Amino acid sequence: MSSDVRFTDFKSDKQPTWCPGCGDFGTMNGMMKALAETGNDPDNTFVVAGIGCSGKIGTYMHSYALHGVHGRALPVGTGVKMARPDIEVMVAGGDGDGYSIGAGHFVHAVRRNVDMTYVVMDNRIYGLTKGQASPTSRSDFETSTTPEGPKQPPVNPLALALASGASFIAQSFASDALRHQEIVQQAIEHDGFGFVNVFSPCVTFNDVDTYDYFRDNLVDLEEAGHDPSDYEAAKGVILDSEKEYQGVMYQDENSVPYHEQHGVTENMSEIPDGAPEDAMDLVREFY
Amino acid sequence: MAEDLNWAVGGEAGDGIDSTGKIFAQALSRAGRHVFTSKDFASRIRGGYTAYKIRTSVDDVQSVVDRLDVLVALTQRTIDENLDELHEGSAVIYDGERSWEAEIPDEMTAVDVPLKSLAEEAGGAIMRNVVALGAACAIANFDVEYLDEALEKRFGGKGSKIVENNKAAARLGEEYVEENYDLDHLGYDLETTDNDYVLLNGNEAIGMGALAAGCRFYAGYPITPATTIMEYLTGRIEEYGGHVVQAEDELSAINMALGGARAGARSMTATSGAGIDLMTETFGLVATSETPMVICDVQRSGPSTGMPTKQEQGDLNMALYGGHGEVPRFVVAPTSITECFWKTIEAFNLAEKYQTPVFLISDLAMSVTEQTFPPEAFDMDAVEIDRGKLVDDDTVDEWLDEGGRFRAHAVTDDGVSPRAIPGTTDGAHMSTGLEHDELGRRTEDQDERVRQVDKRYRKVETAQEREDWEYREFGDPDADSLVISWGSNEGALVEALGYLEEDGIDVRVISVPYIFPRPDLTEEVEAADDVIVVECNATGQFADLIEHDTLTRVKRINKYTGVRFNADELAEEITDQLAAEVPAK
Repeated sequence: MSSDVRFTDFKSDKQPTWCPGCGDFGTMNGMMKALAETGNDPDNTFVVAGIGCSGKIGTYMHSYALHGVHGRALPVGTGVKMARPDIEVMVAGGDGDGYSIGAGHFVHAVRRNVDMTYVVMDNRIYGLTKGQASPTSRSDFETSTTPEGPKQPPVNPLALALASGASFIAQSFASDALRHQEIVQQAIEHDGFGFVNVFSPCVTFNDVDTYDYFRDNLVDLEEAGHDPSDYEAAKGVILDSEKEYQGVMYQDENSVPYHEQHGVTENMSEIPDGAPEDAMDLVREFY
Repeated sequence: MAEDLNWAVGGEAGDGIDSTGKIFAQALSRAGRHVFTSKDFASRIRGGYTAYKIRTSVDDVQSVVDRLDVLVALTQRTIDENLDELHEGSAVIYDGERSWEAEIPDEMTAVDVPLKSLAEEAGGAIMRNVVALGAACAIANFDVEYLDEALEKRFGGKGSKIVENNKAAARLGEEYVEENYDLDHLGYDLETTDNDYVLLNGNEAIGMGALAAGCRFYAGYPITPATTIMEYLTGRIEEYGGHVVQAEDELSAINMALGGARAGARSMTATSGAGIDLMTETFGLVATSETPMVICDVQRSGPSTGMPTKQEQGDLNMALYGGHGEVPRFVVAPTSITECFWKTIEAFNLAEKYQTPVFLISDLAMSVTEQTFPPEAFDMDAVEIDRGKLVDDDTVDEWLDEGGRFRAHAVTDDGVSPRAIPGTTDGAHMSTGLEHDELGRRTEDQDERVRQVDKRYRKVETAQEREDWEYREFGDPDADSLVISWGSNEGALVEALGYLEEDGIDVRVISVPYIFPRPDLTEEVEAADDVIVVECNATGQFADLIEHDTLTRVKRINKYTGVRFNADELAEEITDQLAAEVPAK
């Protein structure tokens, strides 16, 4: 079915309950288009989502999917991909899910370099719980739980990924539909862990990191002539806290994904009707 | 029962105690003798007392006893720790040339062997433990040649020179004792048989059971005493196209296993109580998304860090009730090492047939005990695989709704829904920890909620009807005294029956491997004059269940010292309890 798959095939018949204007609409559309464009179909795609506004994405998309517990989407995706190298795995979450409760998993998923795509809808706010500081909120961002701002520097997820040995680091903007789709598509096609941090504005609770803010400040790395294979140049843009960038910051062209490193190639769902043929050898080992 | 010999080697952690003991156990097994081992150890790489104990007989042995006949003591503490088990006929092997002055009670036979010097003569001081093994052979009248195969197995990878040196070291030890001591009065003479036995521990049996059952994906995080399951699978599961991944923590491990299971692989994780604490976060999701998974808890002493290298059966309530909200799970607790193998296979079948997580509860004692069995005890031809209601491209259509959507949580008469795994055409569906409708989509509709909760619990009713939830029985079925146990106490209880019989006490033993669902013991309890529940915990978690099920007060034998039951100790405790009143509570 893959040859005539349209991106709408990845859409479920559930209407999203995201606030009108939420960046997650654009983020999801780009994901669906990128999946269709890369030759996938809903029956060979597994979407894992965490908890938060972003976590609802599995409900609005049509594919095999699991909406898991808060912060653990990456381990689930890791398990799916290891058991089924033939399945396209896309993990989605928010900044709270990925960089707060799930930060430990993020570091290890990055260094494991499993061949899957991780899309983080970063709105720099906790939206579903009605507006508390997130790990990417600005240090002076006033919220109900941080009336004077968090007074701590935001997590730089791109730098965290780089320090963890990432093979693909990118950032996109939900509202720049074409570029966002292109970047997610590159992440899917990357041989290894494709990480995309998406600026996905919260129109209800974040009046600082708005569509207008990103439109006015975003620098497109492609237009700027950035070479993603240049590690030093990547480091430069990733650590530059003065500007907001979109595009592929870093891609290791020699990336060897986990399944190749470890020889994990089988479809593990297929097993014999009884014990394996030579299983008595396992017993004889104990002589 | 034939004469048994109780042997031990002890010293500091890092002295190679474990491998020395294992070599002797293997040699005994090769000589057609049954072996049952136990370990005293500390959670340290080096330092701290550690010992490897072996009970051996030509008959089946299933327990340790409070008696030590031959002790290889590499430290004074080894002697001190075991004084109450040593007796007049005991022989203690030690190295008088070492700096410590061995204090061995006069009534025992002290066998001073220059272990280090003889090892150096054979090619290196590192072989002193093997010299001691040779010395032990001389004391026990056990042919030193039986050590050879075990030495080849242990050192074969290091080259033939090392193997030959070790064989020579063993012979030097044997000859030294034969030339310098006359120990025939001790009367140790180890009979041999032509029987072939395999020697393995409970964790190896669980790992082997997982491979036999078609487990292809294992995710875990190292923790005593569960790690050896992961280590067993690593290097073997790949032969069958599977993989073991070491996760960053237990939160991740169970979620990886969840992913593997959603993707259609038979998936497993194993940990101990402290890891189950973390996994409990995801347990509800596994259960409510109706994902088949085997979660193994090799219990150790808790709470918190507790006594990490000590025995306890304290996690029963956690397995039964852990996690917020209400959702069914199965809890299976193998009662012996062979049962570790068979119950693991059964756990995978139950998990897939009922799309439910299955807790497989073992414990530290079983995980480190090595025991001999005829290889037929693990007959791979008898392994059956049942994958439940797995649909494929041809059968998926029966389960699509009018909109062509797969009903992954279809409400059925038996509570079990069809299961489509990724790659199945038209099987794409959502699963979630939110309450959901038949399609797996979030719902807060009251009727739908009740339908889904009822459907999940109906799986338990179906399983209760369809499966055998039988207990294992030993002793005199008509006895007035009933002793009930769960998990690894079975072996010690079975041996205790022998001691009780000698005293003219008839007992019926019921050993329960199924905690939920579990056999109803009302009739058995009502038929008995005395009912005693035996378990390694302080509060009697299983005894509480029995009282709840049967509405009858029971007597309890609880041990929570961190050490498993011994057969002779248990016989005494049972005798005492039979004379005691039932507590009013």
